[in-house]
Amino acid sequence: MKTPRIDIFKEALKTGVVTKKYPFEPVEAPEGFRGKPSIDFEKCIGCEACVNICPPNALSVEIDTKRGIKRVMLFLGRCIFCGRCQDVCPTEAIKLSREFELSSLNSKDLYQIVELKMAKCKICGRYYATVRQILFTAKNVPKDQRPLLLLCDECRSKVSAKHISYARW
Amino acid sequence: MLTSITEILNLLKKYGKVEKIHKDTYVVEISPGKVRELCEILHWKLNGHFSVTVGSDERPVNGYFGVYHVFLLDKQKLSVIVHVKVNPVTLKIPSITPIIPGANWHEREAHDFFGIFFEEHPNLERLILPYDWPEGIHPLRKDVNVRELRYKLLKKETGLVVEKKAEEEYIVPIGPYHPALHEPEYFELYVEGEKIVDARYKGFHVHRGIEKVAEERLTINQVPFIAERICGICGYTHNVAYCQAVENAARIDVPLRAKYIRSILLEIERVHSHLLWFGVLFHLLGFDTGFMMTWLVREKIMDLAEILTGNRKNYGMNLVGGVRRDINEEKIKLSLETLDYVEYKLRKILDKMLKLKEITSRTKEIGLLSREEARKLSVVGPVARASGISTDVRRYHPYAAYSELEFKVPVYDAGDVYSRALVRYDEIFESISMLKQLLKNIPKGDLTAENVKVPEYRKGLGLTEAPRGENVHLVITGRENKVYRWRPRAPSYNNVPSTLVMLKGEKLADAPAIIASIDPCFSCTDHVVVIDVRTNVKQVLRLKEIARGK
Repeated sequence: MKTPRIDIFKEALKTGVVTKKYPFEPVEAPEGFRGKPSIDFEKCIGCEACVNICPPNALSVEIDTKRGIKRVMLFLGRCIFCGRCQDVCPTEAIKLSREFELSSLNSKDLYQIVELKMAKCKICGRYYATVRQILFTAKNVPKDQRPLLLLCDECRSKVSAKHISYARW
Repeated sequence: MLTSITEILNLLKKYGKVEKIHKDTYVVEISPGKVRELCEILHWKLNGHFSVTVGSDERPVNGYFGVYHVFLLDKQKLSVIVHVKVNPVTLKIPSITPIIPGANWHEREAHDFFGIFFEEHPNLERLILPYDWPEGIHPLRKDVNVRELRYKLLKKETGLVVEKKAEEEYIVPIGPYHPALHEPEYFELYVEGEKIVDARYKGFHVHRGIEKVAEERLTINQVPFIAERICGICGYTHNVAYCQAVENAARIDVPLRAKYIRSILLEIERVHSHLLWFGVLFHLLGFDTGFMMTWLVREKIMDLAEILTGNRKNYGMNLVGGVRRDINEEKIKLSLETLDYVEYKLRKILDKMLKLKEITSRTKEIGLLSREEARKLSVVGPVARASGISTDVRRYHPYAAYSELEFKVPVYDAGDVYSRALVRYDEIFESISMLKQLLKNIPKGDLTAENVKVPEYRKGLGLTEAPRGENVHLVITGRENKVYRWRPRAPSYNNVPSTLVMLKGEKLADAPAIIASIDPCFSCTDHVVVIDVRTNVKQVLRLKEIARGK
């Protein structure tokens, strides 16, 4: 009986060397690869949809109430590359790229921070939403309702409640 | 013998209130006094098998603690959950370990996490909590808050780890990283010269408390991602099991196309996991050519997974109610081509490798597990199938698209390391044939269910056949889009205790292959100490070093 050893040896010889000389030779990820997410600072409206959905809390938000600035922060050290943020983003501002080399000597390289200007409420003067978010919402709101967008949540409900009671009379 | 479903239901009704929670799954609520009797009937007389024990703190809902013993009746295609309400003051219920030794770990875990006492349990010691954990704090109780706990534990000076005395014997510890798969574990092997006379195991060094994280912080659709990270090899199966449990609880109908995609990815995962196992086995037996060649073929499968899902591991494809990405015609064509290549290559090399004398002489009749022992410990998956027990969730409790497929369940009777290899060998080719059926017959349709609403306090059981065996997730849904209780049970949880049986009477040099033969996945569920009973000389070794003959 022929021993299988020779066949295995032949097969190994035929295969040859398959190891790639990475990192000296580039390796590319396929299309649709879920790599490093990146935020398009021009498109982000600061709606916090991604912050709410993110399973590992890699995305967080900070509001500077004195200066009226909203900071959306992405920390790649916590990111699990699930791509849920990409799914929910209304403006396609956050997208997963095919990049996967994330090692760095400086942990600050792993942060992406978007700073957005906020608008003040016309009545109470409180910062309540980013300017971009208001402009984005305005596209889907009928013209006569748009002034209401300039008010914060609380004032808006008060004003609309007034409108309703007038309408009844 | 009772066989039909109605007969079994009538039997259950004699013991307590029966409630159907979803298809083929019944909860029977009984008083603590009758637990043993019913569990004996379910496991031994009806030929079902004990699957998992889940503890639960339901004081905010109904004022009691709950214990759920899950049994799967393969012949009748039924799942029976025995629910016992535990008095929150006395906290005592009878243990079922004297009847079903496989329940040992499960009950000790419930004791650790909820403080429930199982009367007449032979060894109700700590299993998961470390020895220096303060008494009286049971972390999965609902009144324990993680932040407060952290503060308490940081302030309190904890005692040193209490080491157990190895009485005048010779210990060779292996680990704390797993010798074969490089994960933390701790085996104590008691040896007389070359022969192993006894073995002990301590694991759970990397228990991460993900159940608490999921119950406290995450929402229902965030849990699938943490579930996927339970295992670094077969994570997707946990992901699917969790989603199925929630879908069953909320009675969500998943579209057929989504089911097919889930099945395709599950089978891809099985092929890569089994190939990984073959590589590890060959490596431990010193046959590195085999290791390299199987892993080369495995790489094709990994690349395929990357193309289909966007990642080699952690597919992240599931949400409750369906899947997130579609598989288009182009990808189907590519998958079929890859599978043809993998099948051709494996037939060529794996066939020959398993016939090598170096392999057979070190695996045949080694690490024996008899059918009786396997039944006692309630082992699952390829370990059970190699000991003559025909059990397979895909066949007997079909989920995803498995009810529409044709496949065989390989069963071998020898119960040694070699037959475990043969079971996996057969399963690889069965999986490839299943994959071809799935890819060719995939129906058109939606990817997610339309209306995904999860009602509160409903129970759901999610079963999947992971590469290592049956994988069970029990979910109780909670308020505000959260889970109230989630208990994932990985297959290795039931399989690891069987290694202690397999190791007895074997030679020390065979220990690595025996431990690896169950395909242990210790992070799902750990260092070996070898103790010589004659000379009492201690030596610290890693199994790999034993494998090399040091």
